[in-house]
Amino acid sequence: MKMNLKKVAMGLGLSIALVACSKDEGTEVVVPVSAITVKDLAADTVTGLGLDGRPQSALTTTYYSLVDNKVIASTDAASTKWDIAFSSTKILINGGTSGPGIGGAFVYVGLFDALKTIPADSNFATDNSNAASYAIPLGSGKAWYTYDGLTTLVSPIAGRVLVIRTATGKYAKIEIISYYKGGVTLPATASVNDKLFKQRYYTFRYAYQPNGSKTF
Amino acid sequence: MKTTRYIILFLVLLQGGNLFAQSRFVKDTLDVSTDSVVVTATRTERKLSNITVPVTIINAKTIQQNGSLRLTDILKEQTGLNLTSGFGAGIQLQGLNPDYTIILINGEPLVGRTAGVLDLNRIALGNIKKIEIVKGPSSSLYGSEAMAGVINIITDATMGSPLTIGLRYGTYNTVDANLETKLQTKNFQYQGFVNSYQTDGYSIRPNSNSRVRTPIERYSTTQQIKWDLSSKTNFVLNTRYTNEQIQNEIAVENNGVTIYSIGKENIKDLNASASLNHRFSKNLKTSLRTYTTTYDAVQNLLTINGLPYRDVLNHNFKRIENQTDWELSKNLQAVFGAGAVWEGVKSSRYDSEKLRKQNDIQYAFTQWEWKPSEKLTLIGGARFDQNTQFASAYSPKLSMLYKLNPQHQFRFSIGQGFKAPDFRQLFLDFTNAAAGSYSVFGAAQAQQVIARLDALGQIGNLFPNYYLLKALKPEYSNGMHFTWDWKINPSSAMSVQLFRNDIKNLIESQQVGTYISGAQIFSYINIGRAFTTGFEVEGQHQFNANWSINGGYQYLQTGDKDQIAAIKSGTVYTKNSQGYSRLMKLNEYVGLPNTSTHKLQVKLNYNSPKGYYLNLRAIYRSRWAVNNNNGNEVFDNGDVFASGYVTINSAAGKSFKNGLSIQGGIDNISNYIDAANLPNLPGRTFYTSIKYQLQQNKN
Repeated sequence: MKMNLKKVAMGLGLSIALVACSKDEGTEVVVPVSAITVKDLAADTVTGLGLDGRPQSALTTTYYSLVDNKVIASTDAASTKWDIAFSSTKILINGGTSGPGIGGAFVYVGLFDALKTIPADSNFATDNSNAASYAIPLGSGKAWYTYDGLTTLVSPIAGRVLVIRTATGKYAKIEIISYYKGGVTLPATASVNDKLFKQRYYTFRYAYQPNGSKTF
Repeated sequence: MKTTRYIILFLVLLQGGNLFAQSRFVKDTLDVSTDSVVVTATRTERKLSNITVPVTIINAKTIQQNGSLRLTDILKEQTGLNLTSGFGAGIQLQGLNPDYTIILINGEPLVGRTAGVLDLNRIALGNIKKIEIVKGPSSSLYGSEAMAGVINIITDATMGSPLTIGLRYGTYNTVDANLETKLQTKNFQYQGFVNSYQTDGYSIRPNSNSRVRTPIERYSTTQQIKWDLSSKTNFVLNTRYTNEQIQNEIAVENNGVTIYSIGKENIKDLNASASLNHRFSKNLKTSLRTYTTTYDAVQNLLTINGLPYRDVLNHNFKRIENQTDWELSKNLQAVFGAGAVWEGVKSSRYDSEKLRKQNDIQYAFTQWEWKPSEKLTLIGGARFDQNTQFASAYSPKLSMLYKLNPQHQFRFSIGQGFKAPDFRQLFLDFTNAAAGSYSVFGAAQAQQVIARLDALGQIGNLFPNYYLLKALKPEYSNGMHFTWDWKINPSSAMSVQLFRNDIKNLIESQQVGTYISGAQIFSYINIGRAFTTGFEVEGQHQFNANWSINGGYQYLQTGDKDQIAAIKSGTVYTKNSQGYSRLMKLNEYVGLPNTSTHKLQVKLNYNSPKGYYLNLRAIYRSRWAVNNNNGNEVFDNGDVFASGYVTINSAAGKSFKNGLSIQGGIDNISNYIDAANLPNLPGRTFYTSIKYQLQQNKN
């Protein structure tokens, strides 16, 4: 498995700078955090095509720590070491029925950069696998992607930001860029083989605020 | 090589005999020398030069010389018309989908649409007299579906010779055979026509990813009788029957699940009309017409895991109608009409394929034509349709013709057209077990069905849309057309047309809730607003007795008004090249999918007095959006487009004095193929045909 983690900021603390806000009276101080891009994170990749015509896979889940910007072993699934997990198009948040954390999430409609502060009235949902209800809702057109039955492609929806409360109660925002290996959604004309085997590789960018505030 | 054989045959045929003479044909629209008769524009016979709305006439000679076999073949070479390819071959008129153009045969509508598309390959062109295309809303005369325009295929029992036989053979083992007979006495005319068409050709089925070459067999027959009971009364009977067998080899892919199936599809289409026409006086005539048609499609498939799949659609339509034409004075003429329709559909996609869903319509229309001067004609008309299953519709229309001088004339029309909700939008009861068990329920019963499921504890969520479900309203279009015809000189003519259609109440499928399992539930709601606008330029020039050129260009802009409003309000996003979201700008919006900004066709003709003819036709269509690739549900430059393309077709032939004629042709000479977006366009194909027409006694 090829994983290419581009660490824009090594020590997150170092990258945090205090910058005076240019807005209005200029007395407010914001703490900007740098965006980190994660490339080609494999999430239950396809191993073959079943007799029923469905893609086959090992039904694995890839756990990820937004705090440490790394993959967490599935043996630590029952810990608060991970914040978010991926399994094909399903995204889990460490909280509720998915994990022991206090994580939650909601889908913000707007631009990643424009989301400077999480609105105070935001409602963070938690995973409840018993009711098939997830903080990041499952399905095409529900949260972060659309699925086109004709091209059989999964395309991230433009203008969707996943706002995350981490396992330990800090905040992060995520924009999903691609579901295909290489970081770009395949063209409609891509081969059936490419569509099958290059899917389930997440490329996303995120910003994590370690100080516990809702401001990025 | 097979193809080499065809080329040789084609060349041999070109060497053949030496005469062409057929005078029975009506003239083309652009033929400046004569004035042909149009019936579709006013439902009365009018000379083309007196018509107030945009009309295109395609005559039998053009159809024959182009080597067109099916209705699609000739329509795709017309200005402002584009072929669409989902659910059979449909026609898009001035940017509006196939749902919005009514297809008539001798004034009576064809039924049997799949997802709104009527497959025009069903219609054989062997014995027709002409095709009339009226652009602009024409619901004031024809009711539902006549929103973008009307295509009327006209046959005539008085046409033809005692015996005509024709045979054509082409690429993919395409064999087309015709037999036409005619009997004529002083008071009685009969024309019979039989066509058989077989091909190994291409086929596309809903959601199919693999465009497999599938064998098709089509048989059709038409029988027409015209009987003059007296000098003032006649009786006309038309019947048409087609039977299609399609071999299916389908791979349906849905949510990553591919289901391979094999099987057969059988489509039967029967139309019968009878009319009794009586002229009371020079100024008053009336016509009583009855019409019945049945479309019956059965698809029997066996999936690869042995599960049978059966899909049935049976649509019938019965109508009785009276139309009375009254000439009040030399300058004022009126048409009155009224009728009733009984229409029903049985489908395996409704709750029960044994139960027929029914809609009855009663309607009345009138049209007044006033000629205040030689230069000016004004026509006003309106129609009212009352339906049992959905809201009633009122369709007014005003049009005028101003003849400035023999060179210049102007037409202006404004009207409202409508399309009634179709049976699928009212009654669909379909759950796709293969693809996540989502369901679609027709609007007429969605609330009852969902309430029943809710009582069984199967419903998870109901969306706000659920509470908006109510009786569907028809979709409405307001259309405006302005045409300038200019006869430049005896050998050249051109016309310019501006058009705009504003559509509201578009019926779209919307999610109304979810099952407990999370699977989606859809129904239909009137929500969309859209427009299509642009211009068309057509021209013709006769170089000399033998050579002529004609062509047409359409510029088209379309858009979804709600999407444009959303873009303007800054709530529509798109992706940049890095995959980051950003706000979408209005100038990135490309309008409705499947619409092309430019369409151009040019045709070069050669006709010799000795009967040789040759034509070369080039058709260009610019790119069109096919898929939304960046998840914003709005089509912009970042989405998936089908490339613009050119096809070049050519045919040549000759007719002998003794009634024999031969033809050879090549379609798609440059072998343009786009299997994903143009499944109805096979690569380069060759054909050759021979026809014999028994010469009539001159008496």
